[in-house]
Amino acid sequence: MSARNLFLPICFILICTGIKTGFAAPQSTNTTVDFSRDIRPILSNTCFKCHGPDANTREADFRLDTREDVLGGNHSVVPGDSAASVLFQRLISNDPDELMPPPESGRSLAPEEIELIRKWIDQGAEWGNHWSLVPPKTVEVPARTNPWSRNEIDDFVFNRLATSMLKPSAEADRHTLARRLSLDLTGLPPSDEELNAFLDDLKPGAYERYVDRLLASPRYGEHMARFWLDVVRYGDTHGLHLDNYREHWPYRDWIIRAFNENKPFDQFATEQLAGDLLPNPTRDQLVATGFNRSHVTTAEGGSIKEEVRVRNVVDRTSTFGTVFLGMTLGCAQCHDHKFDPISQKDFYSLYAYFNSLDGDPMDGNVKDHPPSIMVGTPEQHQQLESYEKEIGDLKKSIDELVTNWNYVEPDDPPAVNPEPAEEIWIDDNLPTSGIVHGAWKTTPADGPVHRGTVSYVHTASGNQQYFVQNTERPWQVNDQDELFAHVFLDPQNPPREIMLQWNDGNWDHRAIWGENLIEWGAKNTPARLFMGPLPKLGQWVRLSVPAAEVGLLPGSRINGVALTQYDGTVHWDTVGKISHLPPFPANRSLVDWQEETISKKGKDLPNDLKAVVNKAQESWTPAESKRLKDYFIQRIYPDSRSVIEPKEAQIKALEKQRDELKKQIPTTLIFKETATPKDAFILTRGAYDQPGEKVERSVPRAFPPISSDTKIKHDRLALANWLFTNQHPLTARVTVNRFWQQVFGTGIVETSEDLGAQGTFPTHPDLLDFLAVDFRDHGWNIKRLMKQMVMSATYRQQSVTTPDSFEKDPKNELLARGRRYRLDAEVIRDQALAVSGLLIESIGGPSVKPPQPDGLWFVVGYSGSNTVRFKKDVGADKVHRRSLYTFWKRTAPAPQMNILDAPSRETCTVRRERTNTPLQALMLMNDPQFIEAARFLAQRTIDRELADDEARLRWMFYQCLKRSPNLSEIEALLPTHRKWNERFHKEIENAKQLIQIGEQPSPESYDPAELAAWTMTANLILNMDEFISKN
Amino acid sequence: MNPVDRYLQYETRRQFFSRGAMGLGVAALSSMLPKDLLGRSSKTQEMGLPGLPHFAPKAKRAIYLFMSGAPSQLDMFDYKPTMGEWFDKELPDSIRNGQRLTTMTSGQSRFPVAPSIYKFEKVDNGHDGAWISELLPYHKTIAGEIAILKSVFTEAINHDPAITYFCTGDQLPGKASLGSWLSYGLGSENENLPSFVVLNSTWTGRKEAQALYNRLWSSGFLPSQHQGVLMRTGKDPVLFLRNPAGVDAKMRREMLDSLNRLNQGTYDALGDPETQTRIAQYEMAFRMQSSVPDLVDIQGESESTLEMYGPDVKKPGTLAYNCLLARRLAERGVRFTQIFHRGWDQHGNLPVDLPNNCRDLDQPAAALIKDLKQRGMLEDTLVVWGGEFGRTIYCQGKLTKETYGRDHHPRCFTMWMAGAGIKPGIVYGDTDEFGYNVTENPVHIHELNATILHQLGIDAERFRYQHQGLDQRLIGVEPAKPVHDIML
Repeated sequence: MSARNLFLPICFILICTGIKTGFAAPQSTNTTVDFSRDIRPILSNTCFKCHGPDANTREADFRLDTREDVLGGNHSVVPGDSAASVLFQRLISNDPDELMPPPESGRSLAPEEIELIRKWIDQGAEWGNHWSLVPPKTVEVPARTNPWSRNEIDDFVFNRLATSMLKPSAEADRHTLARRLSLDLTGLPPSDEELNAFLDDLKPGAYERYVDRLLASPRYGEHMARFWLDVVRYGDTHGLHLDNYREHWPYRDWIIRAFNENKPFDQFATEQLAGDLLPNPTRDQLVATGFNRSHVTTAEGGSIKEEVRVRNVVDRTSTFGTVFLGMTLGCAQCHDHKFDPISQKDFYSLYAYFNSLDGDPMDGNVKDHPPSIMVGTPEQHQQLESYEKEIGDLKKSIDELVTNWNYVEPDDPPAVNPEPAEEIWIDDNLPTSGIVHGAWKTTPADGPVHRGTVSYVHTASGNQQYFVQNTERPWQVNDQDELFAHVFLDPQNPPREIMLQWNDGNWDHRAIWGENLIEWGAKNTPARLFMGPLPKLGQWVRLSVPAAEVGLLPGSRINGVALTQYDGTVHWDTVGKISHLPPFPANRSLVDWQEETISKKGKDLPNDLKAVVNKAQESWTPAESKRLKDYFIQRIYPDSRSVIEPKEAQIKALEKQRDELKKQIPTTLIFKETATPKDAFILTRGAYDQPGEKVERSVPRAFPPISSDTKIKHDRLALANWLFTNQHPLTARVTVNRFWQQVFGTGIVETSEDLGAQGTFPTHPDLLDFLAVDFRDHGWNIKRLMKQMVMSATYRQQSVTTPDSFEKDPKNELLARGRRYRLDAEVIRDQALAVSGLLIESIGGPSVKPPQPDGLWFVVGYSGSNTVRFKKDVGADKVHRRSLYTFWKRTAPAPQMNILDAPSRETCTVRRERTNTPLQALMLMNDPQFIEAARFLAQRTIDRELADDEARLRWMFYQCLKRSPNLSEIEALLPTHRKWNERFHKEIENAKQLIQIGEQPSPESYDPAELAAWTMTANLILNMDEFISKN
Repeated sequence: MNPVDRYLQYETRRQFFSRGAMGLGVAALSSMLPKDLLGRSSKTQEMGLPGLPHFAPKAKRAIYLFMSGAPSQLDMFDYKPTMGEWFDKELPDSIRNGQRLTTMTSGQSRFPVAPSIYKFEKVDNGHDGAWISELLPYHKTIAGEIAILKSVFTEAINHDPAITYFCTGDQLPGKASLGSWLSYGLGSENENLPSFVVLNSTWTGRKEAQALYNRLWSSGFLPSQHQGVLMRTGKDPVLFLRNPAGVDAKMRREMLDSLNRLNQGTYDALGDPETQTRIAQYEMAFRMQSSVPDLVDIQGESESTLEMYGPDVKKPGTLAYNCLLARRLAERGVRFTQIFHRGWDQHGNLPVDLPNNCRDLDQPAAALIKDLKQRGMLEDTLVVWGGEFGRTIYCQGKLTKETYGRDHHPRCFTMWMAGAGIKPGIVYGDTDEFGYNVTENPVHIHELNATILHQLGIDAERFRYQHQGLDQRLIGVEPAKPVHDIML
């Protein structure tokens, strides 16, 4: 049976039984058809694909999304006369060629939908824009005709219920309300103290006082942040390919703080969208811009940078659309939107605001993918500043010293060296600076020594090397210098080859004796210079190599030496260099140095100076000459060097301390705009390499323009400000709808991600507008809005479903009863930790890794990723924290979250699924974290020292559900508990095994059998439908 | 959701409600209620969507062997006999035609042809014969059962987007995977097992393997009970399957009896149909605690069967073991089993790594086909084999007579399909002399997915789910037709 034929019998049933498919479309024959509510969705769903905003797929050049085309006098719709309206006639035609939608489209209209269109035409074919694009206006609150209402929300709800012949439910009891409020406002059950404070408060206003206390709790900000983390797609990894660690949690903590401080929503949003563009942004405001950096990124080898960049920008743009406009912009990436008035040009004009990130689109697999900033404690930043200042001061003092140095060119060349100068690195001691590689062994007391008290002895099998490198005092090579070392080859175990090797930036300076076995460097070049056979065995021999022969020319600076042998035992001693001529004279004379430097083509100079010395000296400008001179004074001239060197050492030490400190300071990703905006183009079919028309920054044309003021800068800040103007049709609606969804489980518009043509129609349009305007007019005050909702009588209703109310409103769209639904993943886990007393309530900090089953990361992870292996954290302060702090690896999120419908956070999610599956049951029954929670709840129960098991059971039950069990519940629990208690006493090994599960052991003072039995009973209660649901 | 589904859902809830209100006991509820009522009472649907399948399906279930990293078609199936003469010669510009390359080789100064060093044999497949390389001796024995598609292509050029594209129909994260679509559309045939199972395999090829991602079997925008269930090796094949140490099945049963009583009380007081569903789901969880261990216990398999899959079959987690498990899952009515095998990314050192991975694959995959056939299950089980793209004829890195590497090549590569109405023993599509461009019968991956859906009785163009105001489809927004030429 085709889908189309299927409609007929079903619709027949619908009409016969009078059951409604929802409340969007009124079925009664007497009501007036509302274009926006009843007709537009039909046209959008069925017709716009070929007759809508997208010019490229439009058929017959006919569109149904504008008034001009439909009512423009071409008889497609003749108001008041469906018989004369071509549109209607095509819907009911018997001719398959005429019939719309065409049968091959796979789309069709239900008879009731056709009937609605007939009625709409006959009633005069009123036209209107899609409701959500008309700015919300102040709505008149329905007159209060009932004692039930507590605030305006109730007036709207009651009014709507009355038209459906439904009545609101009674208020829930105080125990239920206490738990419900606490879960909704803090994500945790009330503590004993909070609960008692409320229950004991019998004065009027107790409820409100309780609400105020909850709103003031720091737990409130954590709970509110958790929803926002789904929205902003927050994760602790980059999300693609290697999926390496990303340090971004300071942004998560910023969100928590913002909610706790009750930052007004306009400010909250503006700082995240454009904090970097605010005047003199604070560090906090920069952290907030992490919003636009939270999308997934890659560094996959082979990726094409521009393609990755475009994807990143598209994600930012689409997320902006979903979060603030409640519109799915993504499809306009490739073509004009089929349903909403968003053209491809609109998309890329909006894209242009997010286009100009000053940073590489590829994340480089590093945690602080730039631009990023450090977010430390005030003390850390202060310390850092003080280091920077000290370093700056020192550098400045060096600059001053150089500038003011009174240099006088010496008259004569310096005197001849009176005697050869020896420089020694290796003698009785090894160099104290740089790297010393290899386990240098000193010769035993009776062994041969060339000079001083010790030498070094190395025994090798094959090729073996010992070296020193990067010493702080390199040897300056002078003309005719000679390099030397002393060896004593063991006659009992002679080597086959020995080698000396020096480093002046590379190691390609080698001299060898003996066989030619060490395969480094090209033969017969300074990189492998053969010096002769092995020296005599059993006596000290001086190995001497003219520096020039191994490629070390005057001016070279040697920073390391390597002693290498192939097999055998060799004693080494007194390694150094000897100069027969006076030191390189250039160092004392600027003129000589310049000549030397010119002859070397400025080899060691920075690029700008290199350019100078490589042009004719006559053409040097005075400024260039001065820069060369300054360089000489600062880097070369011994007299000034002796003053500057200690300062440089100080700088180096300070820099080291500074870098150490930096390593301890967390970083977070931020947004930073390029100095000039990057050009944006319409990308043909969304392809990164097919730019078309260039576009300027602009908001979609169906919206009020951003500002006609030409002086205003078109940047993200302007875009953010635009969201909060009074003419904006969507920001306030989208936002209050999302908070409503959070409190009532489902939004006034169920599709909270889409308030556009394809979204659902609001169940209470006037209420939505009232709340939107009210929210805006009260300074976008989030706590006020939350309070407004929970103070309503609507919120306080019992969640009892009667057959009658279910029949009339199965989805509870009209709110004739309290909404009841399963709690979110985080709340379920946090609640278990809370009632067991395990929960650690500290706010913020790096994400933590509570235990999860082995191998979940490894089985999917890239072998080179730094998150390929999961290593659980140790310690209660990590494993028992609220779930919003659980480390979020986006390619493999924690199963405790994932199984209970948490999204992967790879993309923006404003509405979670709520499923009910066997995997959830298995987890809640068997996950060691939940078993551990049950055990700690059991401990707390035993600790109470209550009269008997029934009293203990009652106490445990009350802890979990915040109400006392009834008789039948006791009957369902107590005999089972007693049976288990008895069995565990008999099977004590089983009891011991059970109570060992978890991270934190139980004190040995507990009777294992008793503890095990209570653990199982707690496990039972923690699995109750009531426990994991909001009632 | 369309009005029909919505109606059915509420209608079911309504009936459910009235039965509940009449006071049926819990035990009675779980055993007496028709399954579809239990299933549809909320998002726990075990039955498929109304109206599906769209037409009589050829396949009741499918098994997908996914080779992550992209196997080299040129060394396995796509025989290019003239390439020997082209050794180390430049790939002609007329062939490359300015196509984009990954940035791993776009900087190479040369693109020398690297002929396969493996011998190919033309094997009788009942039709025109099929060329198969010496790396796949067992595949030669199933040439008459499979349809080799030499002309598959994709647009993605890097692993992460390409594999996401294959498994979810889109290069970017967030969409529903093939298996989730099938679970959503067709439901499950076994109330004790999930309808979409994922098996990850160990591998012996290149150690540094490309990553997999949970999104490859995620439900995306579909209700999350349709996400693939990753079956693991070890004592908990399904996460949290085992009771805690010290607690046996008897105690768990007692716990559930008490729990059901309590939940029934909640239901009686509040009347929320979700509570009834929860009772049913806990019961299914309990049944899974015995059905899953039974599933993975292969001791009852005959010696000859085990032998067929090869020596690795007794090592949990190997491809051999997973192929056998896939057959056992298919027998139990699991709708879709997807096996992942990694290590196929042979950028260099191909002659060392590729044979190892081929050995992992060859005998077990052939055995799976034969095993299904001997049980009469190949008729209604669709088997698909392939990776996320192919590899280049030109060499990446060092080229000698003995060794070479190949970069990513999305423009053509080879896959095979078998069973369930796919023509056995055919070779479909062709590529040019260099195996660089498709010359005949191109198959886009959307068309491949449309073909898979078609064999399962689904018209891919009509199979949609409304999300974010859009009709989401596995095949994306553009039309994509199934490849009728390869169907019986």
